[in-house]
Amino acid sequence: MKQAIRALSIATTVLWILLLLFSATSIYSALKLDFGFGEPGASVSNEVLTMSLPFYIDNGGFYDVSDLNVTTNISNHDGTLISNSTTLVPLISRGSRVDKAHNISIRMNEMISKDLTSLLFEDSDFDIDMFLTLKYAHAIPLQLSSNMTLPWGAPLANLSIGEPSFIPINLTHFRVVTPISFENHSFFALNGAITLELIDDLDQSVGSGATDISVPPMNGCNTQVEMVIRSDARTPTEARVYFETSAFSIGPVVTPLG
Amino acid sequence: MVNAESIKRWLIKAAPRIIKATMKGFFWFVLLYLVPMLILSISGIPVNLFPDYIRLLGAFATITVFFVVAAELFSKTVFQHAFNMAKAIVLMVFFVYSLNGGFLTANFGAINVTVDLRVYLAMVLTINFLGLTKSALQALNFLSERTETSQPIKRE
Repeated sequence: MKQAIRALSIATTVLWILLLLFSATSIYSALKLDFGFGEPGASVSNEVLTMSLPFYIDNGGFYDVSDLNVTTNISNHDGTLISNSTTLVPLISRGSRVDKAHNISIRMNEMISKDLTSLLFEDSDFDIDMFLTLKYAHAIPLQLSSNMTLPWGAPLANLSIGEPSFIPINLTHFRVVTPISFENHSFFALNGAITLELIDDLDQSVGSGATDISVPPMNGCNTQVEMVIRSDARTPTEARVYFETSAFSIGPVVTPLG
Repeated sequence: MVNAESIKRWLIKAAPRIIKATMKGFFWFVLLYLVPMLILSISGIPVNLFPDYIRLLGAFATITVFFVVAAELFSKTVFQHAFNMAKAIVLMVFFVYSLNGGFLTANFGAINVTVDLRVYLAMVLTINFLGLTKSALQALNFLSERTETSQPIKRE
């Protein structure tokens, strides 16, 4: 029994020393972890808005950081999920540095298909849930979470289609000029074209025209669409507007005339 | 009848134990409270931000010092091992409580931090369980040895 007691004493002492060493070095290593963020950026391509948040982690400690996962959920104020973005870093070895960017992508077509078209015309607030999980020293999982609100600026805020003016060209045709205005409250530029189609009371197309637009972020757009229609055409009663931009395509936006 | 002479004799007999217990208690207090606090303040960790954990460190040191002193005062009796067993059990409960069952959470403004220390807690509990087993074996060994020495020798 005495040998068993001696063995247990040695085992307990050794294990306590190892545990204390692990605790001390873990705390010290955690203090040696350095991280920071770069300049955030935004881009639009193929109808996908991408917000990029570069970050770095410099692991100057004694232990590896593994399974780093950054997840961002963006939802509308009514809870509809707009975007779910994840960035994974499998391993940050001790003494190494990792530079990575967390990209938050918003697919505008998905947003439109989820019946969130109002976000194109009205400013709103997005709820952002951020989660960061990692495993420290392959033994201690850690999670950081945060909720925040991000104002969303509508790219087609205060969209207004004015009354068309009819200017006779000759005896058989009119030139129709329709003013269109809106404000781009979003963080991305709107580059593309507006197509306007005028419809009569029999739901027949009277004529259509298009114009190119290039609206920088936080700027207004006052443009007009010109078209030529026959002089015997019926009076248009509604306007249908189609937006084809690099960020999104939407249409028709129907507005009654008169 | 208790008289001055018997008290004096008891004091002379108990004095080494009391001195040893006091010294041991002081040593463990320095090791478990003063040294960690010194390391924390030297390494620049804002101790004031974690008053609960500082309180828990104080509680841990108090529990350990109490049982070390008690075990020393009752050394060479079965109570020494009983106190060691009690220390292991109390520390196990204390670790489960102080580590919140393995999940520690803290809020820094809008950021919520959760640390999963279940593996760490398992390690601590395993070591304490080994300590408990050791103390139980020591108590058993002590009792069996005492029984053997108090057994009358059979004469044939």
